[in-house]
Amino acid sequence: MSDTTFMGVARDRIPWFPTIDYDKCTFCMECDTFCPHQVFERREGDRKLVVAHPNHCVVFCRACSKTCGPGALSFPNKPEIIALIKQIRGAESVK
Amino acid sequence: MKHAILSCNGLDKPEGSVAREVAIRAATVTASEIICPVLLNRVHARYKKVLSESALIVVDGCSTRCAKKLAAQLEAKVDRWVLVSDAVKASGRQLESTLSLGTDGLALAQTIVAEIVRNLNTPAPTAAREPATAFEVPTEHLVVTHDKFEFRIPVVDYLFNENDVWVRVADGVARVGISDYMQQKLTDISYFDPPVADGAVEQFGELGSLESAKAVFEIISPASGTVAAVNPAVIANPALINEDPYGGGWLVEMKLANWPQDEQVLIDPAAYAEIVKRKAAEE
Repeated sequence: MSDTTFMGVARDRIPWFPTIDYDKCTFCMECDTFCPHQVFERREGDRKLVVAHPNHCVVFCRACSKTCGPGALSFPNKPEIIALIKQIRGAESVK
Repeated sequence: MKHAILSCNGLDKPEGSVAREVAIRAATVTASEIICPVLLNRVHARYKKVLSESALIVVDGCSTRCAKKLAAQLEAKVDRWVLVSDAVKASGRQLESTLSLGTDGLALAQTIVAEIVRNLNTPAPTAAREPATAFEVPTEHLVVTHDKFEFRIPVVDYLFNENDVWVRVADGVARVGISDYMQQKLTDISYFDPPVADGAVEQFGELGSLESAKAVFEIISPASGTVAAVNPAVIANPALINEDPYGGGWLVEMKLANWPQDEQVLIDPAAYAEIVKRKAAEE
């Protein structure tokens, strides 16, 4: 999916994906079960869940965090990401 | 209509203790029956009558949403939903870490109950004019086919963002809803959590959320403006979104704040059809 675009901007230039707070995560796997885009991946070891495919995450979607009981998932600041996307679009339209 | 209150009883978390306290206090203030989630799960018949006769207020402690999921599982319609962890964030304070409620937890419970009572006495804002002739149901559609599924996209008047939300503007009013593709992906929509009435929303900000047994969907606003109305028909019957996503299943009307600029980053039906094709193929 990294070759796709969002609002005309290459997906891999948009840093929108969840971050797991491992101090809070209980590895209940609700988020992984819920997300249809395979953003997460289950692993062996202490960190049983990782954000393995950040570019699979739908830009501006925060639905997984709404299923997270311990509140262990966070996302970037949305207005900052919107500003970044508009900045990239503006720069590319000038080219 | 009388109310019944179902709370999560999450006894292993401070937010769960608050949810339980809210249920007890709200039941007293509103003269509602309390539904025990454990007993409801074990013996559905115990509450069959009260569920059929009451509007259900659900109180969850954390985002696991156990009570709301239980209601959905039993096909009980949720009239109001309160999430304690959101109320904690909104209060800007932190709950005590103990399971027995302290001063902050009790004060928060009191605040939430007052909000519940206030909301019960304040009807949701409705469309100023209903039905608006400017928003006639579209008759011509592009159709994207994938396996046995067909996704319809109106040919004219509708613009989309890439988060599967449409906007249609007429007479200075914008109507917003979700696409046929997204309603099919969510399957049976059971709850619409509307945005705050009169609240200001930025383009790509949150405009409430939808829930089905399968997913929670954050409604990403296609435009910036103010929430002018929420569709009362959809609040009463969220299944309308599945039945008629571009017509009667509209969600919100907005007073636009920055329309010519916002329009520039939205996509037309043909471009959205290409995105639906790609999304469907990737699933």
